[in-house]
Order: sequence, then C-alpha cells, then structure tokens
Amino acid sequence: MIKSLNRSPVTRHLLLIVFSLLMLYPVIWWIGASLKTTAEMSSPSIWPSKPIWENYTKGWQFSPEFTFGRFFGNTLMMEFWNVLGGVLTSAIVAYGFARLNFKFRGVFFSILLLTMMLPGQVTIVPQYILYNKLHLMDSYIPLILPHFFGGGAFFIFLLVQFIRGIPRELDEAAKIDGASVYSIFYRIVLPLIKPSLVTVAIFTFLWSWDDFFAQVLYLNSVSKFTVSLALRMYVDQFEIQWGRLLAMSLLSVVPSTILFFIAQKHFVEGIATTGLKG
Amino acid sequence: MTGHEFTIQHKGEMIMENKIWSKGMTLLTLGAMLALTACGSGGDSKDSGSGGAVKLKIMWQGPDTRHQAMLKTQEVYTSLNPTITFSPEYMAWDDYWKKLPTLAASHSMPDVLHMDGAYIQEYATRGTLEDLSDMDLSGVIDDKTLENLKIDGKLYGIPISRNAQGIAFNTEGLTSAGIELPKKDWTWDEFFDFARNARTKLPDGVYPISDSDTWDFYQYYQTSNGKGPIIQENGTKFNLDKELFTKFYGIYAEFREKKIVPPADMVSSFKENDPQADPMASGKVMTRGATVGSVGALEQLMPGKVDVVNIPVGPEGGGWAQPTIFLSVSTDSKHKDEAKAFIKWFVTDRQAGTTYGMNFGIPIYDDVYKALEPTLQPKDKLGNKLYDTAKDKALPFYPAAAGWTEWVDNYKKTMDAVMFGQKSIEDAYNEISKAGNAIAEKQSKK
Amino acid sequence: MNAEAVVNKRTDAKLRLTKKKLKGSNDNLAGYIFISPWLIGFLLLTVWPIIQSFYLSFTEYSLLEAPTWTGMDNYKNIFTNDTDFTTSLKVTFIFVLFSVPLKLFFSLMVAIMLNKNVKGMNLYRTAIYFPSLIGGSIAVSALWRNMFNLNGYFNHVLAWFGIEGVGWITNPHTSLGTLILLNTWQFGSTMVIFLAGLKQIPNELYESASVDGATGIRKFFHITLPMLSPVMFFNLVLGIIGSFQMFTSAFIITQGGPINSTYMYALFLYDKAFKHYQMGYASALAWILLVIVALMTVINFMVSRYWVFYETDGGKHK
Repeated sequence: MIKSLNRSPVTRHLLLIVFSLLMLYPVIWWIGASLKTTAEMSSPSIWPSKPIWENYTKGWQFSPEFTFGRFFGNTLMMEFWNVLGGVLTSAIVAYGFARLNFKFRGVFFSILLLTMMLPGQVTIVPQYILYNKLHLMDSYIPLILPHFFGGGAFFIFLLVQFIRGIPRELDEAAKIDGASVYSIFYRIVLPLIKPSLVTVAIFTFLWSWDDFFAQVLYLNSVSKFTVSLALRMYVDQFEIQWGRLLAMSLLSVVPSTILFFIAQKHFVEGIATTGLKG
Repeated sequence: MTGHEFTIQHKGEMIMENKIWSKGMTLLTLGAMLALTACGSGGDSKDSGSGGAVKLKIMWQGPDTRHQAMLKTQEVYTSLNPTITFSPEYMAWDDYWKKLPTLAASHSMPDVLHMDGAYIQEYATRGTLEDLSDMDLSGVIDDKTLENLKIDGKLYGIPISRNAQGIAFNTEGLTSAGIELPKKDWTWDEFFDFARNARTKLPDGVYPISDSDTWDFYQYYQTSNGKGPIIQENGTKFNLDKELFTKFYGIYAEFREKKIVPPADMVSSFKENDPQADPMASGKVMTRGATVGSVGALEQLMPGKVDVVNIPVGPEGGGWAQPTIFLSVSTDSKHKDEAKAFIKWFVTDRQAGTTYGMNFGIPIYDDVYKALEPTLQPKDKLGNKLYDTAKDKALPFYPAAAGWTEWVDNYKKTMDAVMFGQKSIEDAYNEISKAGNAIAEKQSKK
Repeated sequence: MNAEAVVNKRTDAKLRLTKKKLKGSNDNLAGYIFISPWLIGFLLLTVWPIIQSFYLSFTEYSLLEAPTWTGMDNYKNIFTNDTDFTTSLKVTFIFVLFSVPLKLFFSLMVAIMLNKNVKGMNLYRTAIYFPSLIGGSIAVSALWRNMFNLNGYFNHVLAWFGIEGVGWITNPHTSLGTLILLNTWQFGSTMVIFLAGLKQIPNELYESASVDGATGIRKFFHITLPMLSPVMFFNLVLGIIGSFQMFTSAFIITQGGPINSTYMYALFLYDKAFKHYQMGYASALAWILLVIVALMTVINFMVSRYWVFYETDGGKHK
C-alpha cells in the first residue's frame, strides 16, 4: 500500500473508490433493509420489491407523545455538554501529566491508567447507588458530569502522548522569556494540540452516543430519552420492528457522519501547518 | 530537528499573561455550572405523602402498543381515584431486566412492577417482592392456579394473563408435502414418528423438527413420563433421570445422522421471531416451540400459515398452561396498600381490562376476556387456541429456581457440544448432573 | 551586536534551566492545579465505586440482597473450579493476540493511504470511517448475520469458486475468527489517531530527507515510524486494554456461542454480574482482569523505552 501512493492519481482514485465501496457495503444493505417489510427481511435481495417509506415516517413518529425529533434534541443537548466538558478539561489534565514535574506524578498517572483497566460492569452498580443517594436519578448529570473531570483516562492519555510529541524547546524558550506554565499551556501547547482536541471531540461524541447501558440506568422518563434508548424500544421480547428500527438507526448515524465529515479537515490539518502559521 | 528553530522564536515572542489562563479557568467553571443547572431539573419522583395524594412509581416492559394501553389504564385509574397519580417507567424486555437488578441493589425499585415467570423466583426468594397472598381474588382467579404460582407458600405476583406452551407448525409446508398435521394430545412416540415420516416427504434442506439443546424441552419429556421436574424443592434437590436423558438424546443423535434435524451450525444460527433467522419463518424447519405470548409474533411473520398443537404428552400429561406475567409490589415501596389496591383493580375490573385489552396476552379474568372476544385479531385467536389445546393435559410450570440461571445456560452449552459432535451423551449427562448436584447442595446450605 | 547578546543570554538561561531540571525542578502547585479536574472527579465519583467493587470481590452479592462476606472463596473458586474462567481467558488471549496487531497494521496502512492531499479525500475518509461510526448498533448484528450466515453473501461469493462455506458465526471453529475480522473492520478510531499523528510530523523532515536522497520506504522507516511511535504506543496500549475488555460485538452477535467459542472474558463477567446474580464473583473476575491487563501494560511501558521516541528526550533519531 505504501508503494501505491507513488502511483498515478488515476490508480490512486480507483483504489480509493473500490476500497470505499467495500467499506460502504453496509450502508447500501442498510438503506435497502430499512425500506423492507419485516416479512421481506428474510429474502436475500438487497433492495425491496416495493420500498416501504412508512418505516421512516411511522418510525419518526415514535409514539403519540414524542417523535424522534425530541430524542435527537435530547441527545444533541447531552452531547454538547459532553464534548464541551471533554475538550475543556482533558487538555488541561494532560498538560499537567505530560509537562509538569510534581510529586506523585507517576503514582497518579498509574492510577489514571488503572481506572481504564477495571471493567466498568463492576463499578456501574456502586456508581448508580452513589448517584441515587445524591438524588440525581432521571437526569443527564450522571451522564455528563464525568466528562467535566478530564473526559476520561483514554483522552487524557491520548493528549499526553501528543503533548510529549511537541518539542520541549518550545516551552523552554518561553520559560526563558518569563512565561508561566499556565501561559505556556494556553499560548503554546493548546494551539498545537488543536487537531488532537478535535479527535477528542469526535470520539466523545461518538462514544457517548453509543453508551446505552448508562443511559438505560440513569434516564427513566421517555421525555428524556436519547436516540439510542428510543431505538431499543423497538426491540421487544418476541417482536423486533425491524423496518422502523433500521430506518431510525440509519438516521441516528447521520449526525455522527456529518460531524466526522466536517471535523476531519481540522484534525488532519496537523501541527505541520498550524505550527508554522502560529 | 532543525525545522523547529524558527517556530521556537516565533512562539517565544508571545506575550504571556496569567490573565489569559484565568479567563480560561473562569470559562471552564462557568461551563460546569451551566451544565449542572441545565440538567438539574430532573428527579420529579419525590413522594408527596401529604394530603392523601400518592404518586405510585410503576414500571413495566413490552412493545409500544402495550405502553400506550398501560398509560391509558393508569389515566382511567386516576380519574376514578383522584388522589392516586403515577410516575410510569417503561422499556423493552432486555433493558428492563438489565435495569431492575441495579434498582434492587440501590433499594429504589418502583412500587408496582412487571414480573415474569422466568425471573420471579430470583426476585421473590431474595426478599425484593411483597407477599400478596392476602389479596382476595375469589371468583376471578381459581385457587388451583394461585396455588401453582406460590413460591414457598407465598404469592409474590398477581397473574394478569394466561400463558401456555405448545408447538407451532407450518400448515402450508406440511400440507403441500402431503404430511399429516400434528394432532392435539399427540404422544412423544407420535412426535418422533412424525419427524421420521416427514423427513421422507420434505425436500432437501427443509427439516421437520429442529434439534434440541435446552433444558426445558427435555424436561417436558421427563415430567410427562412421570419422573418429575429436574429442579425440585426450591432448588435444593436435583433430579435428572439418566435413563430418560440417554434415550431422549439418543433419538436426537439418530435424527442428526439421518438429517431429520438441521446441521448444528444451522441450528445455532436460529433466532426465534427474527425474520431472517427464525427456524420456521425462514422456511427451514416445519415446527418449533411456541407460547401464547410468542406465537402471535410468529403469525405476523408468516400470516395464515401457522397452526398450533400442544407439547407431546406422556402418561402424566405434558406441557404447561399457566400465567407467566405478573404485577408485583416491591418491598422498597412506601405505598404498599395503594399499590395493592391498584393491582387488584387492574386484574378484577372490567373497565381496566377493556382498556389494556389483549396487550398482556389473554386476560386472566374470564369476564374481561368475554368482553374482548369480539375484537380479537388472528394472532390473538391463535394464542387462545394454543391455550385451549394445552390446558387439558397441562402439568404445572416448572421453572428454574433462584440461583439456577447459570446451570440453565451451561446445560445448553453442554448439549451444543453434543450437537456439534464434540461430546458424548454420557459425558454430557455426567457434567450436567455434577453441576446440578453442586448447586442443589449449595442452595440447601442457605 | 545586540542580537548576539540576546542569544548569549538565552543560552545562559537555557543552561541554568537544564541544570535546575537535573536537580529535579518541580511544579508541585501548578501540577496539581492542572490535574485537579481529573483528581477531583476521581475522588468524588470514581474512587468509591472502585473500593466497593474490591470489597465486593470478597463477598457473595446477588444485587437483590445485601452482600455477605465469604473471604477468598470467589478467588479460590475461580482458580480451582471454574472451566468458564479458563475458557474465556483463553478465548480472550487469542482475540487479543490476533486482533490487536491486525488492527494496528491495517489502520496504519489506511492512515498512510488517506494522509494525502487528493481531491475528494474528505469523502473517502468518511466512507472508510463509516463502519466504525455504526459501532455497536443493533443493525450491525443483523448485517453481520446477513453476511456470514450459512446462506449469507460471503458463502454466495465462495460458491462462485466452488467452495462450500460454513455458518461462519455459528460454527465453533470459525466464530472467533469472524469476530476478530469484524473488530478489524471497525478500525476507524485507531486509524484517526494515526492520522492525527501523521499530521503532526513536520514536513521539513521529509523535505530534508528528500534532499539527502532518501526513498519512500526509507522515509517510512526512518522518519514516519519513529515520529509516530508515541501514537503507535498509545494505540498498542489502548488496543490491548480495549481488546481484553471486548464486549459489544460478542454480546450482540454471538452471545459467546456456539459452545463458548466466543465467550470473551468481559461477556463472562457480565453474565455473572447481571444474568446470574453473582456480582461478588464478577467483581473478583474484574480484579483478576485488572491485574492481567496492568501487567501487560507495565511490560509495554518497559519495552517502550527501546522503541518509542519522544521529542522531549531530544532529537537523536533522524
């Protein structure tokens, strides 16, 4: 594949198109299946004999009280705070771990990594009991709050790695000029890690969209449901409403796709250009 | 790293001010505060004990039609009893049973909750459900039914609908192949002969019956032959009859060889009620197990092609016909009397029954059912037929006792290994017995 | 003349700074201020549940009733009397062993391919990232069945070549391999991190290498790989941690079957906790996994000294 990069633009495009189509096979299947009746789902053909647009219209009209518009609104509101919290705090914490030499740094960094290694399934119940005692049930706080505390070990570690990739001479030169660690962080490091911060934002968005177990536990009222919770309502014990489920879950990946499409130009901009533009 | 030199100089010229940092910090704090206030409006579940007004927390699972019917029923109740209002919470099956243990752990189970035959043992024996034995249901539910439902002599859930186990079959597929359809009260021998006979007439790749790897289907065989249930005395006694076990799975081994049942990797891809993977709806198999609750879903996948028969019978009878959906009251509840009053109304009141209709299955109260009969749809009728077919010869429903869920899972895994030819029937028997006896011993120590 | 003085002054300061650093300069206050968001959250929200789960690992706890202390029983049972433990550990190790390198290799190759200024690259990138966008959606399970079932598309393709396929996810010999494939297919996030890392490599490095007459392959091994090593290290460490806890695809597609062939450790743990009402036992399993994964991570960090290159250490590589 490395070699292919040196080939002519035409071959390169051809290669990319074939590869993209291969990866996009699920979308094609998905669109077809979302327009089928449940009975037709068993037929091997990708496209339905007669598309059932009702899967979309009726699926959107979730119940007499709420449409999917409500759930998209709820989820986007939650996502706004999650992303804000993650982006604001993860860089700060990461800078501390990557650049500052404080007592017990090693110990705390190890603890940070260890928190990632303990499977969440065994801490989720004690955590639930904790939030329950704080009377924070049926609210988004238990879902949002953790993002404001560094955004999670994954992102902190990710940014630590990126910050360690920034030449230290930059800091030191600033230090000589009398800059404090705070201003070094704000004026030098922060602009340089912007691409990775966009990565943090995208991943936070995607992963909290998917994180249904916490949402199942903490949200009770349908009026507060997120998209992924509402989708799960279509999966009953005996009967799955496949058409509506597939139609609405296809819609549910639209925001992430748009976000990814827009945001990628920022994270691929890279230090090479931002660093020079200053 | 020569390339960095001029970058350093560029950055070095920047004016560093602490102000900027503090500005960032303020922004951050502000953001966090906003986040807290924005979502702080949650938690409207505060009980209002004063003035006799009570808000009952109620939780159930099911499809959307059931949710809407249930909400309407609660509205009716509030209009009749203005002091009682509801804080409803509802979801689909999987999420419900995921969430409930966590609620139990934090002592925040709702006042009224939906229970199921597959779970009630676990919840009842661990003290999370109220004893409802004192509720007067005479004339609504007969004593024998209630007696069968008791766990350790106590009634932990009020049944709201009827259920039964049977076998569904593909009428169109069997008739067109010239195979005689199964008849009510067929025996196990007739069941096996049906399979052998149908094999000779069905096209390749279509199978009369599926393989068997779950404990409950074998248990029907054991109980109908008079050897009693596998898990007895609240899980403290284990009883797996070696002779019957060997005979039963010996027959399936023969069937596997003769391609009367599908190959193992096809069997493990089956997923009931999934349009692509249901053994019957996919057209691969002509029969499969079904309950009153699930046969309706199957009927919708293959409209007009499904009929039902009871589980094959033996000298003792066969299968079961009894309620599996309950309403229970949590021991966490602070409004137990109000909760009980609501449940009683829900089960015994005609207006309640006609409001929720067939959404929980065939209502347990005959009066309610009679009122609904004219409105029945084909899927409801099929469920009703299944119940009527099964009830004559029905044995009690023998569930897995509390603490046995893992054994149930391992039974299937062990028999899957037999199915894939990785284990002998004798080894499977020994493993399953060893595990079963160990759990029985552990449970009797408690 | 003045400029020279400035440079000298700077060099002096730099020297002093380095000396100070050698003596162990510390920014205690600033350090704690910076990590405080995490530290406060950790103390408020995380530490208590972690301690709880550790305590619960020495109890029998059904969730439905209060835990009872059983000492080392859970651990004893796990190590002496639990074939599911050994099976799931084996399955998980195989998964990690294959899935982590495959995913790393594949995502790095794709990242390099996408790290070019080609027209329409935005679209290609989004298309290629798409499988990772759909994550653990229920639709994935339907799709995957549709492709790898006995009469799925994959077997149709094989049939063209006269090969008779099996039920790839429902055959105990192929199910784990198929799951590894699915996991590799969702390589997007690893790829994005590589992409961000690639973009952080200064162009001047490549330019000066070109001047020295280096070829593409040489540039890859002498510039790209070393410069990318911190990010590679991150992806490796997190890939291992994540794969040991792999849950979603096993849960929604195979449920661990057939016959435990895809019974991943995290799924086993989940079953114990939420299906079989043995949260105490599950907690013990979790702490055992923690020790295993922590050991792997420590080894990783130790080995990383030999291959991970940080700018911070000074630019020795070229």
